[in-house]
Amino acid sequence: MNWQRVWRSLRAEFGRSPMAKLGVVLILAVFLMAIFAPFLATTNPKAQDLSRANEPPVGFTDITEDTRLVDGERQTVTVTTRGTLEYPLGTNQLGQDMYSRLLYGARTSLLVGLLGTTIAALAGVSVGMVAGYYGGRVDDGLMRFADVMLAFPALVLAIALIGLLGPRAVDIPDPFVAAGLVSDMPETTVLPVTVTFVVALVNWVWFARVARGEALSVREKNYVKASRSLGASDWRLMLKHVLPNSLTPILVLATVQVAVIILLESALSFLGFSGTTLSWGFDISQGRDLLATSWWISTMPGLAIVVTVIGINLVGDWLRDALDPDIEGESGGGMG
Amino acid sequence: MSDDVILRVSDLSTRFFTTDGQVNAVESLSLEIKAGEVFGIVGESGSGKSVTARSLIRLIESPGRITEGSIEYRDADLADDLREDHPGAVDGEFVDLLAIPEQTHRGLRGTAFSMIFQDPESSFNPSLTVGEQIAEAVEVQRRASSNPRSTRARTRSSAYSLRSYAAAAVLPGRGYVSAESKDRAIELLQQVGIPDPEQRVDEYPHEYSGGMLQRAMVAQALAGEPDVLVADEPTTALDVTIQAQVLNLLREIQAETGMTILLITHNLGVIARMCDRVGVMYAGEIVERGSLGDVFDRPTHPYTQGLLGSIPDLDAAGGRLQPIGGNVPSLLDAEMGDRCYFADRCPKAMEECLHKPPDYPAAGTDDHEAKCYLADHPYDKSQALPEEYFEEGEGT
Amino acid sequence: MRLTRFLLRRTAQGILVVWGVITLVFLLRFITPGSTIDFVAPLDASPELRQRLAEDLGLNKPIYVQYADYIVNLLQLDMGNSLLKGRPASDVIFARLPATLELAIAATIVAILFSIPLGVISATRRHQPVDYGATGFSLIGISTPNFWLGIMLILIVGVNLGWLPTSRRIIGFGPALELLVFEQRPVGLRVWFEHILLPSITLGTYFTALITRLTRNGMLEELGEAYVEVTRAKGLPETLVKYKHVLRNTMIPIITVLGLQMGTLIGGAVITESVFNWPGLGTLIIDAINSRDWPLIQGSLIVIGVGFVVINIVVDALYMYFNPQVTFE
Ligand SMILES: Nc1ncnc2c1ncn2[C@@H]1O[C@H](COP(=O)(O)OP(=O)(O)OP(=O)(O)O)[C@@H](O)[C@H]1O
Ligand code: SF4
Ligand SMILES: [Mg+2]
Repeated sequence: MNWQRVWRSLRAEFGRSPMAKLGVVLILAVFLMAIFAPFLATTNPKAQDLSRANEPPVGFTDITEDTRLVDGERQTVTVTTRGTLEYPLGTNQLGQDMYSRLLYGARTSLLVGLLGTTIAALAGVSVGMVAGYYGGRVDDGLMRFADVMLAFPALVLAIALIGLLGPRAVDIPDPFVAAGLVSDMPETTVLPVTVTFVVALVNWVWFARVARGEALSVREKNYVKASRSLGASDWRLMLKHVLPNSLTPILVLATVQVAVIILLESALSFLGFSGTTLSWGFDISQGRDLLATSWWISTMPGLAIVVTVIGINLVGDWLRDALDPDIEGESGGGMG
Repeated sequence: MSDDVILRVSDLSTRFFTTDGQVNAVESLSLEIKAGEVFGIVGESGSGKSVTARSLIRLIESPGRITEGSIEYRDADLADDLREDHPGAVDGEFVDLLAIPEQTHRGLRGTAFSMIFQDPESSFNPSLTVGEQIAEAVEVQRRASSNPRSTRARTRSSAYSLRSYAAAAVLPGRGYVSAESKDRAIELLQQVGIPDPEQRVDEYPHEYSGGMLQRAMVAQALAGEPDVLVADEPTTALDVTIQAQVLNLLREIQAETGMTILLITHNLGVIARMCDRVGVMYAGEIVERGSLGDVFDRPTHPYTQGLLGSIPDLDAAGGRLQPIGGNVPSLLDAEMGDRCYFADRCPKAMEECLHKPPDYPAAGTDDHEAKCYLADHPYDKSQALPEEYFEEGEGT
Repeated sequence: MRLTRFLLRRTAQGILVVWGVITLVFLLRFITPGSTIDFVAPLDASPELRQRLAEDLGLNKPIYVQYADYIVNLLQLDMGNSLLKGRPASDVIFARLPATLELAIAATIVAILFSIPLGVISATRRHQPVDYGATGFSLIGISTPNFWLGIMLILIVGVNLGWLPTSRRIIGFGPALELLVFEQRPVGLRVWFEHILLPSITLGTYFTALITRLTRNGMLEELGEAYVEVTRAKGLPETLVKYKHVLRNTMIPIITVLGLQMGTLIGGAVITESVFNWPGLGTLIIDAINSRDWPLIQGSLIVIGVGFVVINIVVDALYMYFNPQVTFE
């Protein structure tokens, strides 16, 4: 692996491709949103204000009919609500600020996406490397197991596992709040643990396949055979030769998997199998029954997902075009 | 052998407009090929041989373009056909292939001229049988000749709508390739010496060996009974004994059909065995041309001399081109400059060579010509460049 | 012949995978917190009743006996009684299966109908507006979560424009066809079509986008292959060069990726069903999980697993048809 060459071709492709630049900008924006959510948010995303429920985004006006008791008589009145800058993206049925929820939703998506991908990659690469390097029965056994895992559509398996295990979550203290830099914001960020592990569990197989393929081909190289005959230990050989050779395809795969996992997480939250309520998928499901009256509740978080995933896919394309690895299981997955 | 010119290429320039700059792969190339002869083009790797071949069949794709010149092909009937619609393209019995519409040109491919490519393995579609692919070439010819020699009909027969293709996919017996063409493919395979042609016709390219594939490619190129065959390094990818077999095959077929062959190679032995006349290519130009005897026995251009000088006995050395000192020239327009392109490597370079590129002698009447000042006047030691020039220029 | 041999081999392999699936599904119950009997027995059940129920369901036997029973029953297509519906789980599942199949097939048709022509046009008109349009569409298409797309379609086409119904199925394709054939009433088919249109677009968009992208990139790559020039040099009509040669070979990578994405199709169907209240396997499995209806959970997981294995065999056969170099040895 020649890192200088990798770097150079990445830079060359970046300079050539406006889409790569767009992707990087989008991803940077989402990252900044997620990290600095407490500063960017205008209202505590969990704070409810029922008197301000279902307000439209700024610039929009919402006209609804409501039945009220006026002097002991039922009357239909027309209620006009104008969106205000206080809630730039409107509010949901609990009067929570959609804009602030969008920022905090980015945290959940990125946390699960990055952590889930990391776990999947570590597990998958280890299994794949061992299978490909040793070959024979170890390989057969591990790969048959992978086949069985692949026989369950990821989303179905994830639903089954989370539905049966029950979603669990841990609270991670927010460093900005802990340091006293902001107040009135949630003191913790919720990491949905079960979801993270399950999305990793249903996606490790892709990494295993890539790593196995690379290990199979590296194993046959002469310098590896030579070092083996000189008595180098298997682990050493794997870490020194197999792993570095697999890194480019794994990097490209990992990028795309972040998108796949973010989509999977949003689907799970949408179905109610999540461990947190601060999630784009959850908000979409909340707005679903209010489509006729409050379209923005579902629309805004959905747009956030699309923009994020487009960004990641563009970066994935950039890496693929620049590094040109030959892998399957790519193309990051619109439905998890 | 008749002395009639069948293909007349004048001032052909083909350029590639790449991100690194303009590449002058073929530069003002002129040559005449006579009916029934084997004309050889020899040159180092990267000298533009393949681009020349592809230009002749108009297969240059973006970012490349034929920017100048004409390729005139002699065919009296075709000329008559086209005279009315494309008067600019017709000159006597000659038709300028670069001036006719793409559709008309496609009607000529495979039937008027066809091509054998450098690498047999990648020249067949891996997912169709070899027989099917040869039969396609037969079919092209069959459909063209069922409308004898009328350009409009040729154009029409070379068009094949998406609808016909879709129908063929659904309705049995409606495919493009007819049963007769399939039978002809078997004959052709037999003719090029493939054993068990009835069985081989249904096999896929990966089931053939390299030598057999090259024979199959010869069969495919012959399928349309072309007048001119362009063979771009037909034997480079093969090992020596099979090389000889394929060359013999080409010779036999040429003797039988009297077709014209343009043979491209960087193997001087192949040229010596096969060709009547030769062009030596350097940096996109033909720098010397003439009969085999003239060029090989009395080379004028220092480049040709260098090529030949480095091979005392053509057959013994296997005829491979030996590297000559110095760099292969850059074909980037920006780096070519206004001088003899060989000057950097020429042991006889003179002052004038650095100021203006040489051309063929103005009064060149005989068949043997070279693009070099030495063809005009003999080498004069006093004109030679100072020693330092050669120390710098050579051996890098 | 090559194909028959392959199918036999692949079926044998498939049976092994299905056995793995069945075993994994069986084990799923044991990783679940809480005792199964808690979900089966009424809240106020006496200890005796609980005991009897556990015996009835065989929950007291050793695991390997339970496993053997389970396999034997499955071989007889007996998946147990659904706790939720009180009917055999297999009945419930097979009653729901057509809805899911219809949806998946409709989505696949939508996808293939639009994507391949779009990809071809895009590749042959490179750097023209059509190409940019198609590329943009496919980027957005593969990046959009389909449940959100479904909701947006409901919002725009259903709620705002009021053109199409936005939930439920009303009539299956079979009955609708019967209505047309035996009673000459096309209304059934119309209702069926109106109901399936939005769900199948929702499910099909990702695949349309994905295949468009694969077709375009695959064709561009394939057009650079040496043999393309050769086919042109022999004077073959351009239609045949593009479709018989290039597109055909482009199908090979497309099929590879599609095979790997079939899980996405099924997962997508589950969530699409939930958006449109489509009475298929997807909504069934979510209900079953939420109510811990074990026979139903196991049954539907197995049916999905088997379906997936079958789809993959079909995909491999297609792959083999397009790529004669593959021998599967
Ligand atoms: N598609 C292309 N794009 C850019 N440059 C090209 C392209 N095809 C050919 N060239 C350039 O044209 C020049 C001549 O190439 P060509 O293939 O004709 O050489 P050749 O004489 O056939 O060499 P060889 O013996 O290796 O086949 C080369 O410098 C090459 O870089
Ligand atoms: S023109 Fe001059 S530099 Fe060029 S080949 Fe002739 S002598 Fe050499
Ligand atoms: Mg060449």
